[in-house]
Amino acid sequence: MGFDFAYTDEQKMVQESITRMLKRHEDKHVSWRQDIYKHHNFPDALWQAFAETGIMGSFLPEAYGGSDMGLMPLLLALETLSAHGFASVHAVVTAMDALCLLKHGSEELKQRILPKVATGEMRLGYAHTEPDAGSNVFNTATFAKREGDHYVVNGQKVFISGVDSTQKLLLVTRTTSLEDAIAQGNRTYGLTLMLVDCDSPGLEKQFLPLQGLEGIKQWAIFFENMKVPVENVVGTENGGAQIIFDSLNSERILAAGIATGMVDFLLDRSTRYARERKVFGNRAIGSYQAIAHPLAETKIEQEAARLLTYRAAWAFDKGLPPAEVGHFANLAKFKAADVAIKAADHAIETHGGYGFSEEYEVIYYWNTARLFKTAPITREMILNFISEHSLKLPRSY
Amino acid sequence: MDIIVCIKQVPDTTTVIQIDPSGKDIVRDGITYIVSPYDEFAIEEALKLKEAGDGTVTVLTVGPESAKEALRTGLAMGADEAIHVVYEGAPSQLDSLTTAKLIAKALEGKKYDLVFCGRQAIDDDALQIGSLVAEFLNVPQISLVIKLEINGEQIKASRTIEGGTQVVESRLPALITAQKGLNEPRYPSMKGILKARKKEITELKAAELGVDLTPRVVLEELRLPPARPAGKIVGSVAELVKALHEEIKVI
Ligand SMILES: Cc1cc2nc3c(=O)[nH]c(=O)nc-3n(C[C@H](O)[C@H](O)[C@H](O)COP(=O)(O)OP(=O)(O)OC[C@H]3O[C@@H](n4cnc5c(N)ncnc54)[C@H](O)[C@@H]3O)c2cc1C
Repeated sequence: MGFDFAYTDEQKMVQESITRMLKRHEDKHVSWRQDIYKHHNFPDALWQAFAETGIMGSFLPEAYGGSDMGLMPLLLALETLSAHGFASVHAVVTAMDALCLLKHGSEELKQRILPKVATGEMRLGYAHTEPDAGSNVFNTATFAKREGDHYVVNGQKVFISGVDSTQKLLLVTRTTSLEDAIAQGNRTYGLTLMLVDCDSPGLEKQFLPLQGLEGIKQWAIFFENMKVPVENVVGTENGGAQIIFDSLNSERILAAGIATGMVDFLLDRSTRYARERKVFGNRAIGSYQAIAHPLAETKIEQEAARLLTYRAAWAFDKGLPPAEVGHFANLAKFKAADVAIKAADHAIETHGGYGFSEEYEVIYYWNTARLFKTAPITREMILNFISEHSLKLPRSY
Repeated sequence: MDIIVCIKQVPDTTTVIQIDPSGKDIVRDGITYIVSPYDEFAIEEALKLKEAGDGTVTVLTVGPESAKEALRTGLAMGADEAIHVVYEGAPSQLDSLTTAKLIAKALEGKKYDLVFCGRQAIDDDALQIGSLVAEFLNVPQISLVIKLEINGEQIKASRTIEGGTQVVESRLPALITAQKGLNEPRYPSMKGILKARKKEITELKAAELGVDLTPRVVLEELRLPPARPAGKIVGSVAELVKALHEEIKVI
């Protein structure tokens, strides 16, 4: 069979599972959202309830305590969660790291980490960005020097989410300097990924007051002679670049899902308010096309973004080559970020001045929606990717 | 202990119900379906009893092809087997009596110690299936159960009654209808969903079970409740009292 756009029974059950879990805790929703959007914490009780559904194992094989269902169930779950106003960045990054481990990690590492991920007991972070290496990962300067059975790591990272609320980070380091790599004629050579404990001796963290990715805090981290056992390397030494590009696809797909789910939340709030609010006479403002049409347009674009996102997850689950998955993952993230911003803008517009009041909650989503345009990858870098890889235009930089 | 749970697929409680042009059915396009909430209490209780000892839980439904989804949910929650009595006619033609006969027929030759039903299905609210099935199976029925203890063959159950609780005893085999408060139903876990994929659903055709499907009670017409008249905001307590006295005449 070629195209089939219906949710399977199994997918419906995943959505239902998450919806019912949320319904059971309905009395806590408002305080949970305040926790996430005002205090930058992800409520433990919500994580617990989310993990209890088994969703953090849905994408892992049964051998590691998972249920081997691919990425789609987690995508649907995050979308559903987000449609209720809860974005779980922890789930996104943990899943991305775990999938990377699954594909490239040693058996020992997988057995040590993945079963704990499946139960929700372990959360993971991803540390790639540096002051001089954001969009350009090849500028990574954090250096890991091999000494016997371990590496000694020195350097610094910035904007790293969840150093306080995850147990381990997947760290991007260099094991060959950029100059040496270029001298060898391969500038992509020399990156190495390793799993490090967030409380490793030699790792210092400093809080960064950032807005945008809510329910999780950002940190600058400094490594001073931090020791990492050799067996914590994921993939091959110096061969990290390919692994990174391969792994970031799942993050983009899941981030897109959070964005399209958020649109559901914002549209729900907007239409509810537009049906009730009367300004001139006895007509609800929702009857004005100036209010209704932007919401209708948002709905159209959301469905488009959602199709792209599902297609990307489908490509991922089919095991298509990373570049092909990347094409759809990038399109999805790009479109989903745009529509989330639109939805937040129109939601605020629909609410007038109340759009800025915390009571109506829609203002919470303004920063978050905007963040998706910049992270996990910027809009410009996506356009670069599409121009170069999908349209075969010459590289501009 | 082997347990049967009779469940029904019903429209989600949040569905905006519309009546279709025939006047005998609701508009079914775009509806999301759920397992009737009282049936979920029944499934949960059955699973708990199974987990406390051993045995099997079988979920059973009478309904159209799409009702398989409800069985899949039951399997994903942890039921071991599922029986689908496929009924292909119009929902308006399937009355409680026929449904109960079909259930009893489907259970012929099947070993069970307990049968659970929800106290009622939340779509047609007929409240008949538990009693009818108990009658056809010739087992005692305890309805509206909020607490259940089983010791050997002995059943001790608490039931809700007006303003209080009644405690009754009976013996296995029996039929129990579940009331809200009995337990908190689990949701299907991902592993459960995965396992459900691998479990077979036994299919029986309603038309081939030798049960006369002619309804004794025929659904003639469905009507939506009249729209609520607009509310009125009163300015003071005195005005409220006056309105209650003179307009609505309740005091
Ligand atoms: C809230 C938040 C949380 C984050 N969490 C994490 C995390 O957990 N882990 C992590 O590793 N990182 C994290 N990041 C970092 C994020 O991934 C980076 O900020 C992002 O990838 C951009 O890198 P940069 O900030 O260095 O921007 P730069 O690379 O300096 O880019 C600046 C601008 O120039 C544009 N630009 C650069 N090169 C080109 C080009 N060739 N063509 C066109 N335009 C170009 C960019 O698109 C951007 O608009 C987080 C960021 C934020 C804001």
